[in-house]
Amino acid sequence: MHDSGEIASAGSMWLAAVLFVITYAVVMSERVNRAIVALVAAGLMIILGVLNQEAAIRGIDFNTIGLLTGMMVIVAITRQSGVFQFLAIWSAKKVNANPWGILVMISLVTAVTSAFLDNVTTVLLVVPVTLLITEELKVNPYPYLFSMIFSSNIGGTATLIGDPPNIMIGSATGLTFNDFGYHLAPVILVIMAVTLLPIYLIWGRKLKATVEDRQRVMQFNEFEAITDWRLLKQCLSVIGLVVFGFIFAKWLRLEAATIAIFGAAALLLLVNLGKSADEQSKHVLAAFNEVEWITIFFFVGLFIVVHGVDSTGLLKVLAEKMIALTGGNLSATAVIILWSSAILSAIIDNIPFVATMIPLIKAMAPSFGGPEGLMPLWWALSLGACLGGNGTLIGASANLVVAGFAERAGQPIRFMQYTLMAFPIMLLSIAISTVYLFWRYL
Amino acid sequence: MTAQNLMNPNPVTLRPTDTVATAATHILTHRLRHLPVVDDQGRYLGTFSIYSLLRLTLPKAVIMEEGLRDVSFTTETIDGLARRLRERGSEPVGQWLSQDDPVMHPDTPTMEVMLLMLRGRTTSVPVVDQHSNRLEGIIAFWDVLEKLLVETR
Repeated sequence: MHDSGEIASAGSMWLAAVLFVITYAVVMSERVNRAIVALVAAGLMIILGVLNQEAAIRGIDFNTIGLLTGMMVIVAITRQSGVFQFLAIWSAKKVNANPWGILVMISLVTAVTSAFLDNVTTVLLVVPVTLLITEELKVNPYPYLFSMIFSSNIGGTATLIGDPPNIMIGSATGLTFNDFGYHLAPVILVIMAVTLLPIYLIWGRKLKATVEDRQRVMQFNEFEAITDWRLLKQCLSVIGLVVFGFIFAKWLRLEAATIAIFGAAALLLLVNLGKSADEQSKHVLAAFNEVEWITIFFFVGLFIVVHGVDSTGLLKVLAEKMIALTGGNLSATAVIILWSSAILSAIIDNIPFVATMIPLIKAMAPSFGGPEGLMPLWWALSLGACLGGNGTLIGASANLVVAGFAERAGQPIRFMQYTLMAFPIMLLSIAISTVYLFWRYL
Repeated sequence: MTAQNLMNPNPVTLRPTDTVATAATHILTHRLRHLPVVDDQGRYLGTFSIYSLLRLTLPKAVIMEEGLRDVSFTTETIDGLARRLRERGSEPVGQWLSQDDPVMHPDTPTMEVMLLMLRGRTTSVPVVDQHSNRLEGIIAFWDVLEKLLVETR
């Protein structure tokens, strides 16, 4: 009996590994929608007996799912207020519609907004205004779009809620919003500043616009961009409270998902007060429709698949292999995690990668003196996975959204042309991260 | 009765190489909303319409898919917009055609013609030969209405 049990577990380890590799391969091929792939693979994990349903559901990180969904609802409502257009125009006018000044300001707006809201929504709302401004100024939009891709991914790295990898890491480790800000924001500020340098040298110093064209942008009335002041006030109050909740989460004894979902519910309540039942249904449905269900179900399926692999002990074996490789040296492990996650995230989706790395890094705890000792590794994973997304056009979903806009504006961003510039700049940001990790933790 | 009997067999047409300025003049002088564009063999390529002109006049950031939904913050005057249109006056119409507008065939039944106009919210529909893709004529709503009101008495 004992023997057959051993064989079964070795068998399920192989089965899980094969399922996992196929899932990755099919997601990378982009032939089948990633939500479908993840859910089919998750179903097979259960049907083929690697996991039972109960174990599968335990594998889903509902804190991540809740935080993502809640923030998506809040953003779906907030975007209707026109606040993003306001910020873009306001910042452009602050620098007297100077082309390079606008590039810097729009990049900063993108970075700060991406730090608190999701990157895709940020670029979706800021790119059209930027294109209007560059069209008025008759300047090439390419450097602006290039810089926005970088800013959204760099900004997103700075906080717990900025980028899905951080949400997952925070949720799995209990690291708080403040931990992320305290440990990541300083290096992000440096990286943001350093990234603008090559952009200035390559394009920025050549950007010129005539006085009349600049005058046209100066005449934009940013306050007219706000479509609904009441809505804006409601959204800003709720976002303010949600951020307050994240900052004081530890003292409030609340987890991120509770804060985000409660914020979403409170905002829905505020905007629907006094509306008829019919109108309420329409509004609530519209807000829910904007939730990216493909992403959410991709996460659900993926968590189950990774949990399946993890439960067979495969990731533990891999973790031991990796530690054997680095000789149990924390610095070497951190550097390997940072650089490999950066390069892999430039090519593949960073979400499945991070979902796999989390249990793998957790399994290393005994070698580095318990969970506390893993801190530098979490920051290495976050910096690598988030910043690596800048390396190629397919590295992050925000990149693809910007590329789509560029295409429609008649200024397509070519894959190779982008990679040739972006990959070295991305590696530069990883080099800065390496120095930072050594200086502060290793 | 089919599209064949309703259509105007000699409509004003454009070549893809004609300029936007020429098209605009035709639209204004004949008060036409849609001008069919044909190649040298008379094959239908698409329609240049008043909507093409509006698109030409507006910035790309506004007309593109998922572009700005609201531009009430702009202060551009009619002069500015006129200049924008003038600057593009020498562009060929070929790249501004709408190709997904509904078309009919000579044997399309009258009721289908009317339904297409209603569903497509369009006032004139090109009639195109199914096989050769040649433009046979154009049906304006006025032709249909005239037949309905005048000729049936």
